Amino acid sequence: MDVTEIFNSLTGTFPEAISEAAVESKIRARAYVDKEKVKEVCQYLKDSLQFDHLCVVCGVDYIKRNEFEVVYHIASYNHPVVLMLKAILPRENPEIESIVSVYWNANWYERETYELYGIVFKNHPNLKPLILPEEMLGEWPLRKDYEGFPNKTARNLV
Amino acid sequence: MGEVKGKKTSTPNETSVEEIPGVITTTASAISDFLKKTKAQDLINWGRKNSMWFMVQPMGCCGVEMIAMGCAHYDTDRFGIIPRNSPRQADVMLISGYVTKKYLPALKRLWEQMPSPKWVIAIGDCSISGGPFYESYSTVQNIDEIFPIDVFVPGCPPRPEAMLQGFVELQEKIKAKKDLGTEY
Repeated sequence: MDVTEIFNSLTGTFPEAISEAAVESKIRARAYVDKEKVKEVCQYLKDSLQFDHLCVVCGVDYIKRNEFEVVYHIASYNHPVVLMLKAILPRENPEIESIVSVYWNANWYERETYELYGIVFKNHPNLKPLILPEEMLGEWPLRKDYEGFPNKTARNLV
Repeated sequence: MGEVKGKKTSTPNETSVEEIPGVITTTASAISDFLKKTKAQDLINWGRKNSMWFMVQPMGCCGVEMIAMGCAHYDTDRFGIIPRNSPRQADVMLISGYVTKKYLPALKRLWEQMPSPKWVIAIGDCSISGGPFYESYSTVQNIDEIFPIDVFVPGCPPRPEAMLQGFVELQEKIKAKKDLGTEY
């Protein structure tokens, strides 16, 4: 299964949900996905296109566009293509469907994205902070407008 | 401030203490406070400075150097500096790395579990001023406001010899009765 075959299958199956899809090289493809259809697209990728390895889920803050992006890198054990899926969320009330029921290892990635960006993953089995302490919840330190950096409090002691 | 008294005089304030003829009554803290003003404290400090057991509690990459310092190559045993795994048996806590907001309660708890007299050494740029994590959202700044730190050992990470030098400086402070771990 090569990259053009995957590309045509994906865009043919979801003509509305997939936009700005492009093939970058023999092993890389990218696409924007509608935020309501993320779970269905992932289910299709896993069942029909042999994309059985979720590499990472992360967030990006585009403060000038007033948008968040959630980026999924999905790869396969059977063919060399890595697919990058992006979903655009509004900066106010960012919510997206969780894909834990499709890829079980998205659990911790989504928890980390939640604690750092405040992106809420709906129907996540256990959405609580992964690494940050509980009292830092709500500060969302990786957002671009975060101002809690202690760069003016530390003294040089030596 | 109770001092050891040779003969009790019946003052109005001390009527509650029962007077026994020929017996000196005192308390352990009174003896301890009295000894701090005498040459006996020099002897006690000599013993303390030559048996500074430190707690093995590595927190960052400086912790690896700290373990290397405690191993055979640098041989801290010749100064009486022995790594201990339990805070109950330790005299010195080494803050060997960045202190995150999540780890600070655990570090405070370890510090409270150590029996007095106890000392702290800050090792590495992370614990001194933040180091590479100076602007991190999750680290605690100004660690010297939380723990009474006697010696700062700069470096990223400092060599085991530098840490050993830090211990020697702490020994000098204890010898000169200038350390923060004991109340004089």
